[in-house]
Amino acid sequence: MKKFFKSALARGLLWQLVGTLVGGGFVTGIRAVMGLEALGRFGFSEPAWVFGGLIGTLTFLGGSGVVSDWVKWARGIPTHDHHEDPPGWEKFINVSLDHKVIGIQYTLTALIVLGLGGTFALIFRTELAASGLQFLNGSQYNTMVGLHGIVMIVAILLGIAGMMNYLVPLLIGAADMAFPRLNAFSYWITIPAAIWLVSSLFLGGFDTGWTGYPPLSARAPVGMQMFFLAVFVVGWSSILGGLNLLVSVARMRAKGMTSFRLPIFVWASIATSLISLTATQLIGLSFQMVMFQRLFGMGFFDPAKGGNPVLFQHLFWFYSHPAVYVFILPGLGIISELLPVFVRKPLFGYRWVAMSSLGIALVGFLVWAHHMFTSGMNEYLRVPFMYSTLLVAVPTGVKFFSWVATIWGGKIETPTPMLFVLGGVVVFLLGGLSGPPNATVSTDLHLHDTYFIVGHFHDTMFGGFVFPFFAALYYWFPKATGRRMNEFLGKVHFWLMTPSFLVLTLGMMRIGLLGMRRRISDYDAALGFDTTHLVLTVAGFLIFTSVLVFVYNLFRSMKKGEIATGNLWNSRSPEWQVDSPIPAHNYAQPFEVVGEPYDYGLPGSKFVEFAKPKP
Amino acid sequence: MAHTNQSEALRLGITIFIFLALLTALEFVVALALNSIPLLVVVALVKAGLVMYYYMHIYKLQQESGGGHDSYEYKTGTNRLGLWLFLLSDSFVFGGLLVSRFNLLGFTRPHLSQVLGLVVTVVLLVSSFFMNRAETQMAHGNKKGFLGNTLVTILLGAGFVIGVVGVEWQLAAAEGIRASSMVDGGIFYMMTGMHAFHVLTGVLFLWIVYRNARKDVYSAEKHWGVEAATVYWHFVDVVWIFFYPALYLIGSVA
Amino acid sequence: MLHFIIVGILVIVMAILTYLGLTGIGLLPVQASAQAIPIDWMFNYQVIAISFLFALIVVPLVYSLIVFRRKKGDTTDAEHIEGNTTLEITWTVIPLFVVIVFAFMGAKSLGDTRRVDPQAMVINVTAQQFAFSFEYPDYGFTSKELYAPVNKQLLLKMTSRDVIHSFWVPEFRVKQDIVPGRFTEYRITPILEGVYKVRCAEVCGGGHAGMRSSVEIVSQERFDNWVKEKQAEALAASQTPEERGQLLATSYGCFGCHSVDGSLLPNGGPSWLGLFGSQVELEDGSTVLVDEAYIIQSVMDPASQVVKGFSPMTFNGTDAGLTDAELADIIAYIMTLK
Ligand code: HEA
Ligand code: HEA
Ligand code: HEC
Ligand code: CUA
Ligand SMILES: [Cu+2]
Repeated sequence: MKKFFKSALARGLLWQLVGTLVGGGFVTGIRAVMGLEALGRFGFSEPAWVFGGLIGTLTFLGGSGVVSDWVKWARGIPTHDHHEDPPGWEKFINVSLDHKVIGIQYTLTALIVLGLGGTFALIFRTELAASGLQFLNGSQYNTMVGLHGIVMIVAILLGIAGMMNYLVPLLIGAADMAFPRLNAFSYWITIPAAIWLVSSLFLGGFDTGWTGYPPLSARAPVGMQMFFLAVFVVGWSSILGGLNLLVSVARMRAKGMTSFRLPIFVWASIATSLISLTATQLIGLSFQMVMFQRLFGMGFFDPAKGGNPVLFQHLFWFYSHPAVYVFILPGLGIISELLPVFVRKPLFGYRWVAMSSLGIALVGFLVWAHHMFTSGMNEYLRVPFMYSTLLVAVPTGVKFFSWVATIWGGKIETPTPMLFVLGGVVVFLLGGLSGPPNATVSTDLHLHDTYFIVGHFHDTMFGGFVFPFFAALYYWFPKATGRRMNEFLGKVHFWLMTPSFLVLTLGMMRIGLLGMRRRISDYDAALGFDTTHLVLTVAGFLIFTSVLVFVYNLFRSMKKGEIATGNLWNSRSPEWQVDSPIPAHNYAQPFEVVGEPYDYGLPGSKFVEFAKPKP
Repeated sequence: MAHTNQSEALRLGITIFIFLALLTALEFVVALALNSIPLLVVVALVKAGLVMYYYMHIYKLQQESGGGHDSYEYKTGTNRLGLWLFLLSDSFVFGGLLVSRFNLLGFTRPHLSQVLGLVVTVVLLVSSFFMNRAETQMAHGNKKGFLGNTLVTILLGAGFVIGVVGVEWQLAAAEGIRASSMVDGGIFYMMTGMHAFHVLTGVLFLWIVYRNARKDVYSAEKHWGVEAATVYWHFVDVVWIFFYPALYLIGSVA
Repeated sequence: MLHFIIVGILVIVMAILTYLGLTGIGLLPVQASAQAIPIDWMFNYQVIAISFLFALIVVPLVYSLIVFRRKKGDTTDAEHIEGNTTLEITWTVIPLFVVIVFAFMGAKSLGDTRRVDPQAMVINVTAQQFAFSFEYPDYGFTSKELYAPVNKQLLLKMTSRDVIHSFWVPEFRVKQDIVPGRFTEYRITPILEGVYKVRCAEVCGGGHAGMRSSVEIVSQERFDNWVKEKQAEALAASQTPEERGQLLATSYGCFGCHSVDGSLLPNGGPSWLGLFGSQVELEDGSTVLVDEAYIIQSVMDPASQVVKGFSPMTFNGTDAGLTDAELADIIAYIMTLK
């Protein structure tokens, strides 16, 4: 406990509270002096909350100490290149510059946030279990849905950042990321953001869903502003994380690691980071514009002032569509990375799989308006965007066919990580195949804003992120801890989650086609969806339970798991050639790449060779 | 740049500055006389290209940095790539603002003071010139020259912010262009505000570098901090190269 | 080779079974508009493609899992196959071709749904939180529900008073957002008589779920009768303030939140039944008498007096441009609700 109160986390939170109160108080004071209404429905007035939130975020960063080194540099004081972490668990709640620690911090935070998002889902799923209003009113329901959506998306962003941070330097043979302080900064800034996100619940919520379209979002309660602020801040984490990763891969590779000898997950990370580096700015801008519209009456999206509500949607989706590929590319990278290990065959068409990630990312920039087929945007845009959207199916298809070809004729084993890989392939396939009907304008006129879409994106996000994420956790857990997770519990997790999840999303698609709209707190009993909705709710609870099994397994295995310090999965990848867990500055000896990464079945071949230790 | 001699490098800076000044004058005349949008776009692109090549030295990204991964040189190469990626990212914000401006206002523009617009543009341009001198002198180990020129840049930068926020904003408000009036007001304040915010951070950055230089933190060989501040400063100028025509020159007054 | 033949057969069988299964359970609601026909035509091909592609991936996957499983005790690796460029090109080019064909078909079916009939009947639709109103400019009245003759193209010209809404009748398939500050168009030719519902498909606030109106498609004859009735009503209404008030309350969407039978609507306000002359308790604990002044204040400045147990009314008379005369009519109408 004492260690907790002395941690960077505790200091940061305390300072965040202080900063918020001071910032909010400052604005309140000014408003009082100027004769404006000083207080609002939630204590502070809206501008005071926003300004307080901003200051609170900054004081969190100052208080936790992630920016101390930079402040020293600015003052011309040199710092040490490395910081030593304390042993034991405290390093996870203190500022560490070690990419492995940061990776684990991200991952654990992602799991907590996932649990939060899941809890929101279960709350509103319970409301939906029967028609009629049970215990939520419309605005509360919408807040729950919107929070569920955005919290889950943040969980994904944290999760992929966790995987990329932990794995990429190990895979390319670097001692750390290119900018360790920036890396720590990117992680720590998400903590105040997460707090603002949840705070919106207590500041009136927001009834717009995660997309926050104005003019509705220009009228929603203060909670809307906290939502915008939070996403804005998370955006910076994403941008800086992407930047760091790209530079690391460009500059820190081991000798001999040419472009086409990069492990496939690294390719996926590059593609992802290109998107997060650039497109993220646009969601920040669109949210900032609505924030300013609310604060200063600027008329960007207000038709009465000559503004254009549809412009917001363009700016928003210019990020938020490419973002869906941010969600899945690392996951698909994990699938491509693990399949060869468990089928003992090379990854079929390595170069094609690598390039398809870039293809998806680049084409992904050109398709955003497929979310707006019914929005009243210029009609002539619809058909070109249909073509570009359908084009994404091609590089995605290359991945699927290559995976099948990899598995074909292999010697397949199915321990838990492999099960999740296979589950991910099937579930993502369902999600992917339900994409083209949305992309085709004429059928999307029916499907838009129905549960068919909801089914589509749960399949893509679960298949493309959640399943591979769990696969990665089961697979690299021994690398991080030196122990392996329990196989039996892992299988329980898988076999409970997968069927429930299929029931959940296929059921969503079914009622969506029949006329179930999104984001409604109550549905017409005459539609006859009561039974299906009840089943969906039960399925949701079963998924939640399965993840609880996982969490139990995770904590149990840290202490009691079977010892596994060697090359547990018999992989060719560099990180498995050394003992687990890996020490602070990674490889004691640098390695050189001497072969192809996935040459399973080629006797005597090696991917990397370590330098001889100096006597 | 370290190999060319100092006066030659300074002369190159002057030549580029003269080009930029002529192009700005051309831009102004084109806008008044022809109102040709393609021509204005071309001029802006040429100006941006000149600044990026000669003042920001974008070609350095390609330079092989010798030495091991732990050498100062290699690390500077890494930092440089990081900085440029950051600028790439940041330019998406400004791109988004430009898109919003043309979506909402089309080819009309708010009624703003042409004289003041030209004055602040020139101030920013001149500041870039002095910044280039400052960096060149640092690269040749001339600390005094560096300090003097940086100080001028800082003052000009501050002058720019005062010109925009302190004068132009007040004038516009007096003309009835308010943030909360019609959307052209919103766009005007948003674009100039976001840019002024970047100028302010640039000034802050320069001031930090200035102080550190006085403490002898940098040398002719090791001055990544100075290079970073310089490149950032010129980037802010590049943004204005596009914002100036978008706000003051393109289209007809609403 | 044998493996390939078996898998090939299984893929085809599985694809056909999936397709039959999916179409067998009936995927879509009834087809009630001419526009639904090209859309459902497109859907059919989508379902075929999905069934086939799903089988194409999943069957070999499951087959491999069963047939190529590692035998107990075998620790060797599998055969070293790095890839095959011809195959990769094949499965790039064929899907490319397929998606282009699909996009082409999609454009064609979209074109079919947008076919214009110059004789179309124009109806002006106004949406607001949380109600639709339909104005029939040819006949000079406004209705709370959409009533239209079968087999005749309707052209809805839609706009919103506040936030974005969306017009969707699942049986008609087509959906179109309704955006404030501009007019969007929606063309539909109902081909099946019946009672449907238009449901707002874009989240528009707390009452989004309840934003729906009845859509009745009837024979031309019944439609003509309805028009006559409505016109008579409108005429009568224009004679007494009470009836004008009722029409106004309809068109401003008051009934989206207020009932006149004493019930409470989801996310709405107090019922208007027996409202006038009663005593209501406010949020701050005080009670007031409902008279004209109180109603005017409640409507024109909703935040000033909030009834206990309700959240403040999101409708704002001042913003909506309600005139004093109109409000006087509405009050006259409210007074009749005893
Ligand atoms: C991880 C996330 C993810 C991924 C990967 C995708 C992938 C795709 N998405 Fe999805 N989508 C979302 C997340 C995702 N989506 C979300 C969150 C929303 C809703 C946002 C909101 O409104 O809240 C959404 C909404 C959405 C819409 C808007 C619907 C609407 O609101 O009206 C559309 C429309 O075009 C669409 C299309 C597609 C397409 C074509 C793909 C393609 O990339 C799929 C490609 C894959 C395949 C096709 C399968 C494999 C390919 C083959 C086997 C080859 C052969 C195939 C063919 C020849 C077809 N998606
Ligand atoms: C990754 C993304 C993700 C995930 C995993 C989920 C998971 C779930 N989602 Fe969600 N969903 C979205 C993203 C996601 N969703 C988005 C973006 C929207 C759109 C929002 C909008 O319209 O604005 C949406 C909307 C949405 C709707 C539509 C609501 C509406 O339109 O009215 C529904 C309805 O059923 C739903 C249900 C569920 C259910 C039952 C789950 C279940 O799978 C949940 C099960 C629970 C978990 C997976 C978490 C379990 C974790 C723990 C127990 C961990 C504890 C651990 C620690 C403390 C270390 N979701
Ligand atoms: C979006 C929903 C909504 C709409 C539309 C709406 N109201 Fe209300 N109304 C409410 C709510 C909620 C309350 C209770 C809270 C309050 O008193 O502000 C209320 C309260 C009232 C009251 C006070 C009632 C009482 O019991 O004291 C009056 C009068 C009233 N509304 C009139 C109108 C009129 C007239 C219109 C249309 C021109 C209208 N409302 C449209 C939601 C609405
Ligand atoms: Cu109107 Cu939803
Ligand atoms: Cu999309």
